[in-house]
Amino acid sequence: MSAQLELKNLTVSYGGKPVAEKIDGSFGCGRINLLVGRAGSGKSSLLLTIAGFHSEFSGQILYDGAVFQPAGNFSLTFQDPESLFFNTSVGDEVEYSLRMRELAENEITPRAQQWLQRWGLEPEKFYSRHPFELSGGEKRRVALAACTVAMPPVILLDEPLAGLDANGQKALAEMLNQLAREHIVIVVTHEPEVFLHPDSNILFLREGQGSWFSGDDFLRQAVCNRDFYPLPRWYCHALAPFATVSSLPQVNAEAVASFVAREKSHADKL
Amino acid sequence: MIILDKVSFRYNEKSETSFKLKEVSFSCSKGSITGVIGGNGSGKSTVARLIAGMIEPQTGIVTVDGFAPFNHIGRCGFLAGIIFQTPDNQIVGTTVAEDLAFGLENLSVSYDEMQVRVRETAARFGLGDMLSTPVHYLSGGQKQLLCIASVMIMQPSWMIFDEPTSHLDPWARDNFWQTVKTFAREHDIGVMVVSQLAEDLHHFEQILAFNAGSLVFNGPIADLRASVEQLPWFRIPDAWKLEKILEARS
Amino acid sequence: MQISYKPGSSFLYSLNPLIKGGLCFVLIMFFSLNGLQLPAMAGSLAMLLLFAVMGRLPLADLLLSIKRIWLLLVIVGLVQGFRGDSFELVPALEGMIRILGVFIAAGCYLTVSPQSELMFFWETIFRPLRLFRLPARELALVMVIAVRFLPVMLSEIDRIRMAQIARGARLGKGGFFSSAAALMPLMIPTLAQAIIRGEELAEAMEARGYRVSGNRTRYHRFGIGFFDVPAGFVALTVAALTVWSRFL
Repeated sequence: MSAQLELKNLTVSYGGKPVAEKIDGSFGCGRINLLVGRAGSGKSSLLLTIAGFHSEFSGQILYDGAVFQPAGNFSLTFQDPESLFFNTSVGDEVEYSLRMRELAENEITPRAQQWLQRWGLEPEKFYSRHPFELSGGEKRRVALAACTVAMPPVILLDEPLAGLDANGQKALAEMLNQLAREHIVIVVTHEPEVFLHPDSNILFLREGQGSWFSGDDFLRQAVCNRDFYPLPRWYCHALAPFATVSSLPQVNAEAVASFVAREKSHADKL
Repeated sequence: MIILDKVSFRYNEKSETSFKLKEVSFSCSKGSITGVIGGNGSGKSTVARLIAGMIEPQTGIVTVDGFAPFNHIGRCGFLAGIIFQTPDNQIVGTTVAEDLAFGLENLSVSYDEMQVRVRETAARFGLGDMLSTPVHYLSGGQKQLLCIASVMIMQPSWMIFDEPTSHLDPWARDNFWQTVKTFAREHDIGVMVVSQLAEDLHHFEQILAFNAGSLVFNGPIADLRASVEQLPWFRIPDAWKLEKILEARS
Repeated sequence: MQISYKPGSSFLYSLNPLIKGGLCFVLIMFFSLNGLQLPAMAGSLAMLLLFAVMGRLPLADLLLSIKRIWLLLVIVGLVQGFRGDSFELVPALEGMIRILGVFIAAGCYLTVSPQSELMFFWETIFRPLRLFRLPARELALVMVIAVRFLPVMLSEIDRIRMAQIARGARLGKGGFFSSAAALMPLMIPTLAQAIIRGEELAEAMEARGYRVSGNRTRYHRFGIGFFDVPAGFVALTVAALTVWSRFL
């Protein structure tokens, strides 16, 4: 799927005041799209506008060249999506979205089970359990699975990893990156470093203006200037001498260590 | 000084968070930021609540500055204040002034003293001209500031923060740690932060690590780094991993 | 237009909360029960509006909010008007003025009373319940907290609604007559979140030293001001007028 979600001269307002002005750019699949910025910078309003819930905007949102019709074509999760649970079994929770879209009855359960498996939860173990019995990380996976099971083209997530421990965050970030290969996944996050790949697409909202960065550019700017974006200090410290190198490593110890070793041996050879 | 001596605790109801705290003993003094770390169900939040006096241990003794904190209110000073994760679920008053005053009303502070302390504390936290502002007009950062101010106004000896940064943006996180360091250094307030985020680790000077209800490590952060292999459940922060890998390679 | 406290200063704002509440109650009783004729009732309503203007209340907001009860006004007008065999304008208008009077009196009261004053009034009303061992101040606190959390709960319900609609739930349409089953995706999460929120708030209150049986002092103090005595007399007069016009 190569369709893009394009924003054309989009200005989002709230109560008459613009929060994000004249945003131009696009979100595609194949790589994850991140929406970053301070609290109150308009990230959530932008997400709601794409989803069709916020109507105070001017400009256009296009999908595959035509005006984006949200109905049935997107999924949306907010912080702590497990607060949406209202069924007594994980299976019912995941199947709900498929039932509401009136999928053929004999297809619902297999598809839901397959999807749950994809989110790292074996159906045999989890399908009939009550959602409240699960651990925090498991609940989060069920919630994200339940919201995305209909596999819409556009998947919108507002801080999907908030409140998880580091292991949980890493695993789910990886899953979302995989999902981003076939869907347009847009994630509002305060931890872009967990998701970042060199080719990630980042829209940074600052004081009402939107700037687009590739993963690489974003990392480079953040390493050189903490005021730009406060990435973990150990990463900025380790990579400060290499800020001019074309492709910075991902924000984890192993990648940084390999990178530093490679650059050092490169410098030694020279 | 906080002292726990052979403290055990178990929740009466079997719920998702029920567990045992097994014969935990440690002491903490003021002047350095103490981190309480551990995974879900490790007992770290229970320790925070015991110190804040919200629950009573089944066995053992908990003391803060020599007094048992459970149901301790007033005369000998407010012992330990605790701030939870979600600011919205801690704000009681309908305006900033009312929320600040709530704790003082509970401590039976006199009317005149209350007026003065509310004004002074609000000014100290940059909320001085927002006293009559309804609380739902505040931004997320202002709400967190209000929560901290509303506990600080009670002049606690210790401040405990229960997973304070998990829902904050990176700038707010930096601001938070600035504030906390100021308390610890300049205001003679003991600071304890409960966290399961690896990035918070480097802010701590003393570490208490819990696993399955037992205290598995108690000491300065440098010692934790050295003995990290003995804690298989512990997720080593990337900063330490990187140093180790680079050391090994060179 | 929502009726809620709007900061201001005038003689109405400066009244003691008990006098404010008492006046509001007496006015509501007056408009509900009085036995006056249409001209006198219309005159009373005009006097009420005049006092609101003199008290520098945002009258425009108040009058705009009447939009919310237009259906009720029409129904009452029709019911009262058709009491006999054919439609009579006078009873219809009398009925509508009663409703308007109650609405505007309550609206004025809420506009000049911040939460703390409302709480004090309710607490005083609940005080006799102490004879039955019910904690008056705590009950009033519960009401205040409920109101304080209203905006929070409303935006939470909105978020749940949006997320469930994204999952395919059919909410937002059907309104009053939606089946309970269709509303489950909204009701259950909202209720669950409310309970969690309540628990966390109770914990936070305990952590700040709140005890139900405790000896709590007060941040707010309400005295008797210059206008309270004449306002008290006005309330008594209105009460007397109500009784006289209705029963005598």
